[in-house]
Amino acid sequence: MHKTKLQTIYLSLLVAFVCVLLPWSGSALKLRPDFVLLVIIFWILRAPNKCNIGTAWFIGLWVDLATGGVFGQYALAYTITTFVAVIYQRRLVLFSNTQQLVYVLLLLLISQVTLLTVKIFSGNDVLGWTYFLPSLTGVILWQAAVALGLNTSRPSRK
Amino acid sequence: MAGYHQNLDQQQAPAFFARGPSPLARLAFFSALSLTLMATDSRLQYLGTAREHLMVVLQPLQFIANAPSMLYDSTNEYFSTHHRLLNENQYLRKQALVQAISLQKMKTLTLENTNLRQLLAANQSLEEYSQLGEILHVGRDPFTKKIVVNRGSNHQVVDGAAVVDAKGIIGQVTRTYPASSEVTLITDKSLTIPIQIERNGLRAIAFGHGRDNTLDLPFLPANVDIKPGDKLVTSGIDGVYPKGLAVATVTDIQTSADSPFARIVCVPTGGIENHKQVLIVSISQPDSVANTSAASQRANNNDIAAKTTKPEASQALAGAAKTPTNKVPANAPVTNTPTAPAVQAAATSAPATSAEATQHKQPVVATEPSTSHKPHAQD
Repeated sequence: MHKTKLQTIYLSLLVAFVCVLLPWSGSALKLRPDFVLLVIIFWILRAPNKCNIGTAWFIGLWVDLATGGVFGQYALAYTITTFVAVIYQRRLVLFSNTQQLVYVLLLLLISQVTLLTVKIFSGNDVLGWTYFLPSLTGVILWQAAVALGLNTSRPSRK
Repeated sequence: MAGYHQNLDQQQAPAFFARGPSPLARLAFFSALSLTLMATDSRLQYLGTAREHLMVVLQPLQFIANAPSMLYDSTNEYFSTHHRLLNENQYLRKQALVQAISLQKMKTLTLENTNLRQLLAANQSLEEYSQLGEILHVGRDPFTKKIVVNRGSNHQVVDGAAVVDAKGIIGQVTRTYPASSEVTLITDKSLTIPIQIERNGLRAIAFGHGRDNTLDLPFLPANVDIKPGDKLVTSGIDGVYPKGLAVATVTDIQTSADSPFARIVCVPTGGIENHKQVLIVSISQPDSVANTSAASQRANNNDIAAKTTKPEASQALAGAAKTPTNKVPANAPVTNTPTAPAVQAAATSAPATSAEATQHKQPVVATEPSTSHKPHAQD
């Protein structure tokens, strides 16, 4: 049985985090998928006993730091998203590729809606529909990774 | 079949026991933790230093992330064509010539201005202190309009410094880290900037609109004297932005029957999202910034009033201008001499208060001989 090393998980999270730190601007910033959350979802599906809600919360804090917003916003969004991911993780074996994509899209949307709620509570404006574009690009990125041969199901269940 | 069972054991057993607390417990714990953090960070000021320290850890990662684009920029610059460089050189020469002429005029004007101000015994206008910064990256939060520049508290950048480019104001420093600082753009919803209409000197406050790179001028009556094309400049009464810098141009004015206020839309003059280099302007040296708020409280003291920014100084002196009229009848010979210079200074400091101050000044000077004689006569 193939075992996922803890270092691999953290290294991939670090790479995703650096992707967030890249100097995005303009329309690229509006389309930028949430790399960190995608990687977390991937590891939750693949190695749920190594990467869980705590990991998501911790990396969420770093994303908070990088965005310069109030501490805990991304941490909360990631916590709630990973909770849903963990709850449905076992059912995912039965999912087809398309179903999995819908599931990932829902997870990304949950994270964005949580963030939006927190932001509206702290007095920010409601942004237009373009706010949800990163979820779509995230799913596209997920599909691209699957097409390139990334195995998104739990290795031991094959 | 046996193999299947063995496989099942291998995967199920760790999955059951290595999980620790249930997902629900984890959710509750970490959600509570995040909410506490949010409350602490937004209401209390404890996490500012923690943020600064963590930012130092983030610095190398940030450098790695910026490296590709910086490499691209530098190679691009290296391979830039001869023709383009010549064009740019020519343009810059022309610009330098034009600016040199206006700079020469400026020198004589500054000299003249300081002389006049000395003659009038007025406050010297404040020195500005500026430095060039480069934009590291645009803010990552889609809800706010921010940029991060590569000058921080190590380079004497202070919170509240104005940030300008060649065409006008683009924002204000809102958070400083050791080697970088966060600039909130004037189009951000939380940023306001005191402005003046260039054409008629009308003062107002511009608010960032937050979404489509525009500014609003709210709370102005529907019949206000503003036309599309009017230029907004900084009024300088806030002590943050230097006076007379371009801020925005009015593009649209809408009045509706159901609102007493006009809806005025302005487009910023500065290239909010275009440039790489910006200028960070502190209106005074970092150490004297802290003095201004304390100074307004002890307004009667002339020494401190001289250091304050203009609005505070004019308030202080307007206050000083009122005192002599009350005090004259009571103890005229003693207090008149020290307050008279204060009244003179008040007359010259601000155009709005000057008329009022001179009105006060006249009776003081006029009554001085008569009131000062009377007590002597009684003695």
